[in-house]
Amino acid sequence: MSTNTAAATGTFHLKNRIFITLVVLTNTFGNLCLAIAMRNMPGLGAVPFGSYLEALFSNPWLYLGVALLASWMISTLSMYTWADLTYILPVTASGYIITALLGKFILNEQESVFRWAGVVVIACGVMLVAETPERTSPMGVEE
Amino acid sequence: MKWIWVIVVVVSSTFGDLLAARGMAEHGEIESFKMRGLARILRFIATHKVVLAGIGSNAVAFVSLLALLSVAPLSFAVPATALSYILKTVLAGPMLREHVTARRWMGVVLVSIGIALVAV
Repeated sequence: MSTNTAAATGTFHLKNRIFITLVVLTNTFGNLCLAIAMRNMPGLGAVPFGSYLEALFSNPWLYLGVALLASWMISTLSMYTWADLTYILPVTASGYIITALLGKFILNEQESVFRWAGVVVIACGVMLVAETPERTSPMGVEE
Repeated sequence: MKWIWVIVVVVSSTFGDLLAARGMAEHGEIESFKMRGLARILRFIATHKVVLAGIGSNAVAFVSLLALLSVAPLSFAVPATALSYILKTVLAGPMLREHVTARRWMGVVLVSIGIALVAV
């Protein structure tokens, strides 16, 4: 019995970790794809609106970004069925850390001291909340 | 004008997440991620009014954020909208019956401060 409980707890933690990773990565890379898609676009007023839409919908980065953000939405909604909102929000904020790292190492952006201080502060917040129980509210709430 | 957009973003994003979380909690914990389980969850999302209201409210937040970015720089928009983390945490107790411990509060405050710093 206790072995079953331990196995169930282990499976739960694995599922939870997989979904945190999924939520963070789909959101970060979805936004990155949309940013790349928009960077390749002409200015909104610079070309006729029809040509603008044509350029937008022929851009593969747009479709990749939308698909990733749709996956992000479904994975976040799925997590709400077993974890609190006040657990999910801070824990998945680790996406900001990945964005800062991507900016530094992939896009070669200039990073300020404030930005790295922010990364450290976010990491501390994430670690604090990650140690709390995922669910504190009753399941299937209806008073 | 920019503060009006900040309020619209913060309020619509807060209610979007609270409604979606409340609606999804009624589903009960998802155990199966096979095709049938996935189809069931997608059907639940597409037909549950509270979840759909949450998604709609988050869509308003997204469009309002774009409007905010057209009148204010990113370094203002991101820290200002990080306020929504605080508002969501304040309302999660009464609306979702979550037990927000001091440890969780500290985590949320640190994350909000961190987001503001990253955008500076």
